[in-house]
Amino acid sequence: MARQVISGIPVSAGIAIGKAFFVNRSLRGRLPRQTVASALIGEEIERLERAFVEAETELMAIRDRIPDELQEHKHIINSHVMILKDPKILGSAKKYVNEHQLNAEWALEKAVADLEKAFSALHDTYIRERMQDVQAVVERVQSRLLGEQRDASAIEGRVIIMAHDLTPADTVVLDVNKIIAFVVAMGGKTSHTGIMARTMGIPAMVGVSELEAEVSDGDLVIIDGFKGKVIIAPDDEELATYHELQVRFDVYQRSVVKECLLPGETSDGYRVKVLANIELFEEVAVVIDNGGEGVGLYRTEYSYISRTELPNEEELVEEYTDMASILSPRRVVIRTLDLGADKFMAHFGKLEEGNPAMGLRAIRFCLTHPELFKIQLRAILRASVVGNISLMFPMISGMREVVAAKALLDEARTELRNAGIPYDPDMPIGIMIELPSAVMVAEFLAKEVDFFSIGTNDLIQYSLGIDRTNHHVSYLYQPLHPAVLRMIKQVVDAAHQEGIEVSLCGEVASDPYCVPILMGMQIDCLSMSPKAIPGIKRVIRQTSMEECKSLLRQVLECNTVSKINKLVKQTIFQRYPEELTFVTSLLDIDEGVPEHPLRPAS
Amino acid sequence: MDERYSADQSEIMAGLTRDVVVANQLGLHARPAAKLAQEAQKFTSAVHILCEGQNGSEPVDAKSILDILTLAAAHGSRLTLKAMGLDAADALNHLEGLFLSRFGEER
Repeated sequence: MARQVISGIPVSAGIAIGKAFFVNRSLRGRLPRQTVASALIGEEIERLERAFVEAETELMAIRDRIPDELQEHKHIINSHVMILKDPKILGSAKKYVNEHQLNAEWALEKAVADLEKAFSALHDTYIRERMQDVQAVVERVQSRLLGEQRDASAIEGRVIIMAHDLTPADTVVLDVNKIIAFVVAMGGKTSHTGIMARTMGIPAMVGVSELEAEVSDGDLVIIDGFKGKVIIAPDDEELATYHELQVRFDVYQRSVVKECLLPGETSDGYRVKVLANIELFEEVAVVIDNGGEGVGLYRTEYSYISRTELPNEEELVEEYTDMASILSPRRVVIRTLDLGADKFMAHFGKLEEGNPAMGLRAIRFCLTHPELFKIQLRAILRASVVGNISLMFPMISGMREVVAAKALLDEARTELRNAGIPYDPDMPIGIMIELPSAVMVAEFLAKEVDFFSIGTNDLIQYSLGIDRTNHHVSYLYQPLHPAVLRMIKQVVDAAHQEGIEVSLCGEVASDPYCVPILMGMQIDCLSMSPKAIPGIKRVIRQTSMEECKSLLRQVLECNTVSKINKLVKQTIFQRYPEELTFVTSLLDIDEGVPEHPLRPAS
Repeated sequence: MDERYSADQSEIMAGLTRDVVVANQLGLHARPAAKLAQEAQKFTSAVHILCEGQNGSEPVDAKSILDILTLAAAHGSRLTLKAMGLDAADALNHLEGLFLSRFGEER
């Protein structure tokens, strides 16, 4: 067999080298289509009903083997059983056998096609996605009709599990100790396979459309879970290269995990605080386990949007108190509501907004609803007595908003004082710098607050004028654009001029290519997704402030983003080859620049 | 049993109906649909759902979650439940209760 490479979407990092084992294959084109003689219709109906019963028995047996800690999988299988028992599919398939004399497989195909048509007309994505459940269930019935049964317990040795589609029902019967990777023909970035593989710590790929055509059971393959490649029948040299990469990744991961509890300090003693961005109380444990030195951004929107009623002050006090006390003495920076008016439609009426991203949201919304805002401000003040809390206002565009927000905070303080309720009068107050206007007046803003936090995700979008979710312009989303770098530097300098701390919370903070540049600017804190903390601490610990400053100097001399990206990539590759190989970067985006940016993609 | 809903023989043949409103914020999505189908299956009567405004559309089987989902009944949709059989009145009372309690969901 000749060497061949097919590609897909990598959803879990790592390298696997081993033999392929298919747990299922697409039924497309393999289902017999025949008409049935009138005399045999009764028999065909029976065959159809039997397949449904057998599939149900199979699913129930799988459900009973699921350990209690995987309750979620049990729910999924329960919903599959429910679809299986639903009168709709079987009823309409029986009709096709009865009235059109189709064989069971064909009738079932027709029944599902009808349902698919009915579902695809719906505008509800969630409901449309349920069609995937229906398909998984029907494939099980079709396999029974075809008399196919794959016995996963027959696996010998450790294998790479391959499938047309992998449902929780397929995976629970597998012995996890025998699996070294997953490769699936269907699915996208958010599929269940990725989540499972990451938990198991093995590589996985989805959306490998050529998989079934090119790979057979027992083939020797390499799975590159970094680049998203399946190498079929690799040569000896390739095997050796990948084996070495596998060992390196193993060593890298071990060192990252081992060192994550050490402080983020450069070899020449410069200290960068590494904090986490979180949204839910449950994430606190992950922050601590990954060596987070606190929470640099606590998003408070969840308790406002997860239910119909607005939270009352007591509920918020409890939420913030729990968070602060469990993290204490580590700090928690609580960001006040960063929601648009659209999220409060039920309470304040609908607003016609042509462009909500630039509309009445975040601090602007809060300032127009002072009573709602003060509930949150009082709650944060009250919680400040138990831990190390800071408060931060989002989306500040200039002085007026800072002054107005601080005035409301003063009102909240007075109300508490009059009621005899304690709060920490010295709780630090900061603002998010995420609008270009705030950057330009940072020197004034710095006199008003105790710290800045630069929100680069929004800052990049607002200053480069691009919506990164719009694929026509997303290639312009360049974190290292000379303009962006100058803005960040200006903010850091303005903060330090006034002697206040400056933090950065945005994807840039967890990008191994960008971090050394930010350090060269002498950023005080980096705040990122908890999982990214160990890798970034490793970058900080391996570098020196001197190197970072020299890199920054060279970067600031470049007049285009491509020169900067090239320079940074070269430097990082020499300095941190492991990060280049094992961590994904925002800078990879520039490889997606269309050749003719003005011609719409076909 | 409530007087209004006690059925005589002719009513059983014609079926009883009841108007309900979808109070769930997210509409009749998978969970409430599953609950509705599950509960409807407990009755011997045939129960169907008609969606107001979907003129000429066929009534769907209340015992089929898939059929219910194809309604895509959003928050505030007005539906008519139609039951035929001996326990039709009980079925309607019970199923109406589910709609009123938002199928046990908070919103």
